[in-house]
Amino acid sequence: MISFRKLEKAFGDKPVLRGVDLEVRRGEVLFIIGTSGVGKSVTIKHLVGLLRPDAGEIWLDGRRVDQLDERALQEVRKRCAMVFQHATLFDSMTLLENVALPLRKHGRLPERAAEKEAMLFLDKVHLREFAHAYPAELGDGTRKRAAIARALTLAPECVLFDEPTTGLDPVSARRIDKLIRELSDTLGVTSVVVSHDLTSIFGIADRIALLYQGVAHAVGTPAEIRASTDPIVQQFIQGRSDGPMETPGF
Amino acid sequence: MIALSVDVITKTFYGTLRWLWGRRTPGAVLSQLYQIGNRSLLFVCVTLGFLGMVLVFQTCLQVNRITGDLSQVGAEFIKILVHEFGPTLTAMMLATRVGAGIAAEIGSMVVTEQIDALRMNGVEPVDYLIVPRFLASLVMTGALTVIGVGAAIGMGALTAYFSFHLNPVVFLDVSHVRVGDLATGVMKCAAYGAAVPVVAGICGLAARGGSEGVGTATTRAVISASFVVILLDFFLSGLALFTFQRGGL
Ligand SMILES: Nc1ncnc2c1ncn2[C@@H]1O[C@H](COP(=O)(O)OP(=O)(O)OP(=O)(O)O)[C@@H](O)[C@H]1O
Ligand SMILES: [Mg+2]
Repeated sequence: MISFRKLEKAFGDKPVLRGVDLEVRRGEVLFIIGTSGVGKSVTIKHLVGLLRPDAGEIWLDGRRVDQLDERALQEVRKRCAMVFQHATLFDSMTLLENVALPLRKHGRLPERAAEKEAMLFLDKVHLREFAHAYPAELGDGTRKRAAIARALTLAPECVLFDEPTTGLDPVSARRIDKLIRELSDTLGVTSVVVSHDLTSIFGIADRIALLYQGVAHAVGTPAEIRASTDPIVQQFIQGRSDGPMETPGF
Repeated sequence: MIALSVDVITKTFYGTLRWLWGRRTPGAVLSQLYQIGNRSLLFVCVTLGFLGMVLVFQTCLQVNRITGDLSQVGAEFIKILVHEFGPTLTAMMLATRVGAGIAAEIGSMVVTEQIDALRMNGVEPVDYLIVPRFLASLVMTGALTVIGVGAAIGMGALTAYFSFHLNPVVFLDVSHVRVGDLATGVMKCAAYGAAVPVVAGICGLAARGGSEGVGTATTRAVISASFVVILLDFFLSGLALFTFQRGGL
């Protein structure tokens, strides 16, 4: 459904992606893993045109999307929602207004109807009682759940989750895992999840891609990844500090 | 940075046109009018009031030494306030206060990915964040300049009266203010009002990294906005001098 082909991106003179090749299949839950700063967030932002590649192609259902202009990208953004790393809600809006925003802007619903609909989605993530609270008043877990509700409002075919469970307590984290799994199993939503959380990686992933030194170093099912003899893969999934993996800044 | 600036300026231009022709959200502009206007009122009045006092005091002191005839001080003071100090000093104050505010707000939205989130949700960040500030700043720079000039003249007149026994009726003489001076003042207000939020917005959008990046962006916004005000002042004064201030208009 989604394919990244030889994706390259540098910021200034610092190369981040150096030819990422990655296929995402319809309806699967693909995890992108890797150390901090390898460019996991950068990779998924390319799909929805928040960043432009220096070289390479991105295809979504047989259509090339990396050269679309901002207007044409709106179509892609409706189909592929994104949950940001920092649970990016707008500080100046209540949770309900936040969740209603895509319905108003992309869905072109009037305010009332959008808020009514948004309430249903808040209900889905058990946040009805916080509908009129501002993000600043709430904890991280609550904000992340609201951000997920916002991403789901337009019934996307694909959702990009940037570290959905990082910084959450284990119970909330597992609830989010369950939600992601259910989206895929019941609605056929394709999920691309960036994560460091080994429990969710091996709990719900259909496939895993390890990003290392600007390329997709290893791709496979959880079983394949576990059984991999690649020393870098083994070091990462065992979380060892000693090994061949180079982590910039350490 | 240059690409970003061009992008922001064109989008602000089209966004403003779109706002003026129909699809408008007056709520955002009203709240910015309040933020930029009311919140800066006291600051501008106090600063311009004190500057008025100092300028008049020093001028009277010097003129007293040379000729002893203070009758023209007020008239010339008002003239220069209208075409030069009023707009420029007000804009300098706004460049620090409003510029820092805009850059900090937009910068922190950049580093927390809120700008990306806006784009994901089908909202053009420039339309949503910069256009209301741009419109509000255009209006409020003018309004605050008028009030600031009033404060400076008032304080100047009081200073002249109490320190040099200059009759306020003599001091408050507007006969030297020509149409050309007024036009220069208005033109400067418009240029500063337009430039400050755009420059600050560009600095905010260029923020990178965490809270440190926001700090850098804010500092840069204050410096760039003040610098742009001074540059514009230089060029607009030159322009005015060779066009409508010339020939005794
Ligand atoms: N807009 C940008 N401008 C400049 N550099 C950037 C930008 N976005 C990301 N980078 C740089 O690209 C590198 C990869 O960033 P990215 O956010 O993708 O890391 P990540 O893999 O998601 O790590 P983390 O787990 O910390 O989120 C980082 O070194 C970051 O500093
Ligand atoms: Mg990241």
